[in-house]
This record gives sequence, C-alpha cells and structure tokens, in this order.
Amino acid sequence: MAATASPVAPVPVKGGVAPLRAGQGYSFWLRRLHSLTGIVPVGAFLFEHILISNASAIGGPIAYARQVRFLASLPLVPILELFGIWLPILFHALYGFYIWYRGETNVGEYPWTGNWMYAAQRWTGGIAFAYILWHTWTMRFTGIDLHEFPGASFGKVQSEVFQTPLFLFYVVGLIAASWHFAYGIWLFCAKWGIVSGEQARKRFLILCLAFFFVLTGVGLASLTSFRSHALQPTDSAGASMVEAGPGTTN
Amino acid sequence: MASSPKIIVIGGGLAGLSAVIKIAEMGGHVDLFSIVPVKRSHSVCAQGGINAAKNLKGEGDSTWKHFDDTIYGGDFLANQPPVKAMCEAAPGIIDLLDRMGVPFNRTPEGLLDFRRFGGTLYNRTAFAGATTGQQLLYALDEQVRRYESEGKVKKYEHWEFLSAVLDSNKICRGICAMDLRSMEVRTFPADAIIIATGGNGAIFGKSTNSVVCTGSAQSALYQQGCFYGNGEFIQVHPTCIPGEDKLRLMSESARGEGGRVWVPKTPGDNRDPLSIPQSERWYFLEEWYPKYGNLVPRDIATRAIFKVVFEHNLGIDGKPMVYLDLTHIDPKILDRKLEGILEIYEKFVGDDPRKVPMKIFPGMHYTMGGLWIDFNQATNIPGIYAAGECEYQYHGANRLGANSLVSCIFGGFVAGPAAVQYARNLQTAPGNGHFDAERKHQEENNSMLMKSDGKENPFRLWQEFGELMTANCTVIRYNNKLKETDSKLCEMLERFRHINLNDRTQWANTSVVFTRQLYNMLQLGRVIAQGAAMRNESRGAHYKPDFPERDDKNWLKTTKAYFAPDADEPKFEFEAVDISLIPPRPRKYDAVK
Amino acid sequence: MANTKTVILKIKRQDNPNAKSHWEEFELAWHPGMNVISSMMEIARNPVTRDGKATTPITYDSNCLEEVCGSCAMLINGRARMACSALIDKLEQPIRLEPFTKFPVIRDLAVDRSVLFENLKTVKAWVPIDGTYDLGSGPRISPEEQEAAYPLSRCISCCCCMEACPQFNDDTGFVGAATISQVRLFNTHPTGAALKRERLAALIGDGGIQECGYAQNCVEVCPKDIPLTQSISEVGGEVIRQAVGDLFRK
Repeated sequence: MAATASPVAPVPVKGGVAPLRAGQGYSFWLRRLHSLTGIVPVGAFLFEHILISNASAIGGPIAYARQVRFLASLPLVPILELFGIWLPILFHALYGFYIWYRGETNVGEYPWTGNWMYAAQRWTGGIAFAYILWHTWTMRFTGIDLHEFPGASFGKVQSEVFQTPLFLFYVVGLIAASWHFAYGIWLFCAKWGIVSGEQARKRFLILCLAFFFVLTGVGLASLTSFRSHALQPTDSAGASMVEAGPGTTN
Repeated sequence: MASSPKIIVIGGGLAGLSAVIKIAEMGGHVDLFSIVPVKRSHSVCAQGGINAAKNLKGEGDSTWKHFDDTIYGGDFLANQPPVKAMCEAAPGIIDLLDRMGVPFNRTPEGLLDFRRFGGTLYNRTAFAGATTGQQLLYALDEQVRRYESEGKVKKYEHWEFLSAVLDSNKICRGICAMDLRSMEVRTFPADAIIIATGGNGAIFGKSTNSVVCTGSAQSALYQQGCFYGNGEFIQVHPTCIPGEDKLRLMSESARGEGGRVWVPKTPGDNRDPLSIPQSERWYFLEEWYPKYGNLVPRDIATRAIFKVVFEHNLGIDGKPMVYLDLTHIDPKILDRKLEGILEIYEKFVGDDPRKVPMKIFPGMHYTMGGLWIDFNQATNIPGIYAAGECEYQYHGANRLGANSLVSCIFGGFVAGPAAVQYARNLQTAPGNGHFDAERKHQEENNSMLMKSDGKENPFRLWQEFGELMTANCTVIRYNNKLKETDSKLCEMLERFRHINLNDRTQWANTSVVFTRQLYNMLQLGRVIAQGAAMRNESRGAHYKPDFPERDDKNWLKTTKAYFAPDADEPKFEFEAVDISLIPPRPRKYDAVK
Repeated sequence: MANTKTVILKIKRQDNPNAKSHWEEFELAWHPGMNVISSMMEIARNPVTRDGKATTPITYDSNCLEEVCGSCAMLINGRARMACSALIDKLEQPIRLEPFTKFPVIRDLAVDRSVLFENLKTVKAWVPIDGTYDLGSGPRISPEEQEAAYPLSRCISCCCCMEACPQFNDDTGFVGAATISQVRLFNTHPTGAALKRERLAALIGDGGIQECGYAQNCVEVCPKDIPLTQSISEVGGEVIRQAVGDLFRK
C-alpha cells in the first residue's frame, strides 16, 4: 500500500553460483559411475595388465607368450574387451575430461598438497588416456594380431621400447596411469565414506602411495626386461617358434 | 484487525529472532529487517554462557537466588518483577535451546554442564565452549530459516531501519527503511514493530561491540518520542584485548575457569611474567575481595584494575594493562572449555595464552540503558516494542555476566506475543498519508547529506567523538567533565552540518549510511552525558569519586530521557524503581552479602 | 626518530555490479597491531590514494571483527580469508585486497553470499522441534558427542571454503563444503536425524556432494578449522548408501 518506488533505478545483482538443485538431474549417478568405473573394471584391468600380464615379461619371451595366449583363449574375448575395458575406459576418460573442463584448477593461489593432487589427477588422467589410445592402437589394431600369434608379443613390444622416445612414452604412460589409479583408490575411498577420518585418510594415503610404487616398480621391471632381451621375432613364423619354446632353432 | 497480524522485527540477534519465532508460532507474519545477514548479528560475540538456575550441581541454587544475584549485581536499579520473571523462565529457555540442538558442554552423564560466572557463588552458567552466543544465535537462526522456508517470515537483510511511521494519533503503523545496496528508501506497513537492535558501543569509538552496534535505531526512536531509560549506565568489561580497530573481549569465563588477575608488585618490573615469583605478584582482586576473588562483578573488577594501574602505577611496563593468567591450568581443560577465546587471543595478539599470561585492560562492553519499556516490552509509543540490549529493563546499574543472553531471549519471548496481542486489538489507521510523508522526510535527510559540502570527514568526527565519550563517560565520572562533554557534543552536532561524505554515489554507499548513524549517535551521546551528570551518586557501573556512595533516598530512580524537538536536546524525568520483592541493601562484594 | 615505516595496500575496486573493476593503491603510516580492517578504517578517515587522488572510502562487509560473524571474508594476497584476523605485520607487501571471485560483487570488496543461506534452506539445516513451549529438557548427549558436534557448529558462513574450492563455480553449481558439513551436524543430532533422509536426498541433486573433487582446499582455508573433508567423506558414504539402498527399497 504505502511502499514506494526508489528514486534511483536499482542495479540488479546477478550471476554467481547457482544454489543446490535438490531433486533435479542425474549427475550424481554419472559421477558415481565415473568414480566406480575407475576402480572396477578399469582399475582392475590395470592391476591385471601391469602386475600379472606384463610382469610375466620378466620371465622372458616364452612366459610372456603363454600369458598372452591364455588371455586370448578366454571365452568371448571381443565382448570382454568391449564391455570390460574399452567402453568403461572411454566413459571414464570422456566423463573425466568433462569433469576436468568444469573444474577451475587454482594451485597458483592455493598451493597445498591436496590441491596439487587434484590437479595431478586430471593431468595424469589425460596423459594416461593419450597413452592408452596410442598403445591400444599399435598393439591391438595395427601390425600382427597378437591374439592369433601370441608368440610375437614380446617382439612387438620390443620393437617399440627399443626406440628411446617411445620407451620414454611407455614410462610416462606407466607412471601416469599408476598414479591416477593409486590416488584414485584413495579418492574413491574418501568420497564414498570408506575411509573418512583424518588420521585414517593419512594412513590410507601411505598405503596408496606404496601401491603406486609397486605398480610403477613392476611396470618398469617389465619394461626393462623387454629392453634387456635380444630382439624377438615379430612375424607369424617367428611367433610360432617362440611359442614352441627353446630347443627349436631359428 | 486481521486474524494474521503482521509484525516487523528490526534486528536479527537473539532478541529479534526469539520474537520472530514466537510470532510465527502464533500464526503471525513477520518482516525481519537487519543490516547484516541475521546469522552475522552481534549476538555471536557472546562468549561465556547463559545463566539459568537449574541447580544441576547439587549446590542448592534456585531461581530466587538467581533473581537476587541479578538485582543485587545491578545495584537495585532494575524493576524487580520482570527480572524475577526472567530468572524463573531461564531454566525453560535453556531446555528449549538444548532441544534446538545447541551443543552445550556436557557432564559425563550427558547432562548440561554449568560453570561459575561473576557476581554469583553458584555454577549457574550453561555454555557451549567459549562461543555460546554464536551457538545460541545459530540455533534460533536455523528455526527462523525453517519458518522462512515455510513463508511465515520474510527477511530484509542489508536493510537499515531509519524511522517509525507514526500516524496522526502518534500510533506506530510501520517503518521507513533503506536498502543498503540500492539506497532506496521505502516504507513498510505493520500492525506493530519490535526493535531488537542491540547496544550502542560505537558511541564510544572502540568497544567490544560489533560494527553495527551504533544505537542508531534507538536514537531515531528517541528522537521520534520514545523514552530512553538509564542511558548513563554503560558496562565497561574488565578484561579486553586492546586493538587498532576494536577492543576484543576476553570472556569472564577465563576467570570462571580459574584465570587469575595480577600485576607485579614493583612498579616498572619488566621481567618476563613467568619468571616473576608468586611472592612478587599482586593478586589484587583476590586480596580485596576474598569471597568472590577474581569473579567479582564487572564494574568492581574494572574499577579495581583502574585503581591498580592509575593510582598504584602498577600497569605492566607502565602501560594501562594487567595480566590475566591461565598458565597454571591444564592446557587440555583450557582447550575443552575456552578454546574459542584462547584462539582469539592467539590470532589477534600472536601469543599463546596457555603459555604466557594475557595482557588485558577494561573496555566499553554493554549498554544497560536503552529504550524505556513497560513490563510487556512496550515502549511509550503504541505499537513499538523493544527487546534485548536496546532496552533498559533487566540489568539495572550493572549487568551480571551471562545474563545478557537470557535477557535477550526472554525479552523476545515476551515482546513477540505482546506485539501479536496488541495487533489483534488494533484499530485501523486514520488514513495513510503519513507513509509518504515519512519517506519524503528521510529521502530529504539523505539528499541533504549528499549535497553537504563542508570539510568534516564523518569517520574522523566519529573517532574524536568516541575518544571524548570513552575519556569522560565510562569508568570514572566527574561532573565538570560530563558537562564539558555535553557542550563538545553540541559543537560536534554543529560541525555535523558541514559534513563531507567523500562518496556521493547512489549504490552501496557506506558513507551515507554511516553518517546517518553518526548523527543519531551524537544525539544519544548527549543522553548519556547529561544523564550521568545529573545522577549525583555512585551505583553499579556509574561511579563518581565526588559522590562515592549509593544514594537510595534521591536516586533509586530510573532515568527517563525524552527528546525535545524544539530545543533539539534531551529532557529528563525520573521514575521510582519497583522494589516490591527485595528491599535494597548495601552492595559489598568484599564480604558475604 | 620519526616513524617512516609505511604500509602499502592495493585494493581492487568496482563501483557496482555492472561496472569494470580497477585497482587503487594506498600508503598508510605503519603502527603496531594493524590489521586489514583497521587499515581500511584509516582509509575511510582519509580517502586519498597513494598518488594523492581523492577517492571514496572502501565498501566491504564487516561486523564483529573477532572472526566469529563471518562477514569480512575477501581475497588477501590472492587467498580467501577473514580481513579482521589478517595482521598487517604477517602479510607480504604490497597487500592485495580483492573481492571473492565466485560471488557477485556488490561494490568494491563486498559480495553477495546469499547462495549459502539458500543451500542451508534446501538441506533443512535445523532441528525440527515441535514448538517453543515447555517440553522439558533435550536429549541426553555424551561429552564425546558434544565434542564431535561443536566444531561443526562453529561454521561462520564466511564462504572461504567455497571460494577456494576448484569445483565451486558457475559450471558445476556445487553446493560447497560448508553446507555438507552442516548436513553432518544435523544428521548426527538425535532430534535433527528425523530429517536425515531428506537432507541426504537433497545432496543427490545437481550441484550436490558428487561435485566434490577432494582438492581439500576447504579444510585448509577454513578459519575455524572445521573438519570439512571428514564431513564430506562421512556424508558422502551416507548419501551413496541411501541412494543405492533406495534403488532396491523404493
């Protein structure tokens, strides 16, 4: 009734971060799925790939060939690969890039460990994904088909790691993926309330760091063993010989 | 009137919010005005606790003893029936706060823990760490937010109250307020209004009060015809940390938990305090007041510190400071019970009070006086109610520690329902032209300030004003100084006409806002100075060396100041104090009462 | 000897929400015990820039000056903190004062932080009592429970945790650590727990707890040392348990 207009046109205060949208959207599920896929199946695959399959290279070309043969002999390999590895990695990576894009890294102003780790998780994720794309392309989709000729596996890897730039790329990819996974486990447990107390989180972080060193250490040992063995064949005939084992002549 | 009364509450501290909650609960609608978001109100600064005689320590405490301590502590200047009602309501208020989720400290059995505060011999103070006010305010703020989300309360934060809108019968019909961002001046109709705008520390320049505690709203209403009661009663807290921007409170709870006040016995002794042996320390409060020791009421402790520093010349390093020592107490206990205030000392001074005695000095802290109200929290203008520190009712000549929080909440709990009751019986106003008139009047005030082209910087004038008031109107008062103060205030009001704002923009202009407050502060300063000059006795916080005794024959009276617009000055009348329950007796803390 | 030591402040100013910002530099005489607020009070008493130009007093939010009301948060030398406890002697000069970057600027250093209060409404951050009439004492609470709740209850709504959070921005509309911690506070109160399901459900909406990237800046900048990351972990666990549980129950 008596309220009156202002003598000056008020300047509207607009913008700013939107309030919580309770009951709206499904970003919660996507984000949690992203978090979960990082552990299973992507992380689990990485675990197997570094600590079991690649580690068998330490035992030499034959052991390595046997491991590859075993993997290739699993039932429904293409389905396993598609739904167990490629699609989850693709989702985890692409949604991860979306998360990266929406965050505003600010380690310049707030140079604290947790914040550096936040930034590192994004960079290591990006690097690991670039490496994985290249690695999958060269190992799985170009050159000799290792599912058909597991014996060529050792040589095929060697043909890359004997080139120093590619070897370095392997090392960088290994470290990035290992870090991303190890710290990712810690993040997963912190965000899902599995490890919540401050002391508990600190203790668990040490465990995750140790896991990182194990992953990287075993990975590096495998890579070194590729470099320390004589060059192995990468053609189908040579592959059969490798698989046949010692005693056969070249 | 309408079945759903509309009440405006001004101020979102404990008193304002408790009124809001009661009104909303009774089905009324509230417009809540506050300069700052209500969660940032000055109530958050209350540290030590809230009094209630729950007698959970087996000491035989009772609400009557709480009542008696309060009246005695206030040197018999408070009207007794409302104080009695407050003390009786206090245990219920604590229970309610407990139910609202205030994280009060607990005993091992899970019951409320209580500690001792000044002016009593009982453990009567419930507390939540050393940030009790913050915790209480948050609990009320949360309940109000709940009502806000239900549409029963509308908040106007970043709005400042300018004046009441009075109709031709001098009945309050709403308020005139200013948006502190757009600077828009607007009127809001209401059936009744409740003022809960806190104390007036800013009148003393630096105080323990928050920036918004200017007393501007009370002064505006006083200038519109409200009585202002006991303005001369100002509490100077004995233990404050002197600072550049304000005086920070070091809670009485520091002494409640065993803190001891002392100075080195030799003048100029500048040794490291920890190396001074016990025999060379003077615990003057314990020596002078063996019964209460360090927990004498605030006015007594403050004067004792003044005496030691200025008469015995025993201030630390010759400066006006004494030690408040906690170093003999187990740091773990300190952390559990006092962490909040120790942190303040650490952050703002840089020393750890667990290891080094704190250096403290008295500072302006609380406004006992305020808008005059009846036993229903109603001022003399129909439709205007007041609650909390802005009114004068509960603390007499000196407030006891931890009684302010209970008086705020109790005042709000009385004022809210009283305002609703009043609104339900209200007759409609004779026309509403007074809204436009009031708005125009306030807009003119603003444009006058905007146009004013003098040389006086309002912030410098304020500094000068505060220093003047602190020097002459606080702990020790002399009539010649008080009269001199009043004439200087007149000069300052004259200089105010030549104010220069430096900022003439029409958006979030803090200079205009502050300058308006400054004018009101100056007017209220005169009420304080003149009231103090008149009262020729010493009572509670009001101490005149020339009249060192309490004079019940002539001065057991409430000072009621009212504004004479023609003379542009305060006039006074006096009202007998209601002493119907406890006959006055001499107030002596050096002996058992 | 004359006191020649001075303090230099660079203050980012903006006349209104739509105006462009600019910097002004001030030089003040140093004295002991100065903090950022007392410096700005001094500028108000003598509003002249370092190069002698007359200007206006600085607009900023402030109230208690004891770091308990939460008003005077701003960026000081690039970092979110409370101005009242920012002692000049402990700051590198020139001291840069800027408004928060993720909240709409009102004028100069004052910003609109009402989004936090909106969020507190959305998560029902209160104890649902029946009424203010006399219903006896509250629930018994052990000292341990009180000691866990009290630190959470000291949140002053300063929004430092939100400003410093890389995930709190226009793109995500993240709710921020302060609100999540309040959810934990009220969910652990015996009576407050009545609304636990609703609070957790609200945090699943867009902008909810899933947006946390665990950079942990919140817990580092918090002037009240509130265990915010622990709150995020614990509430995060409860949210996922409720969300997954509801998939089967509802």
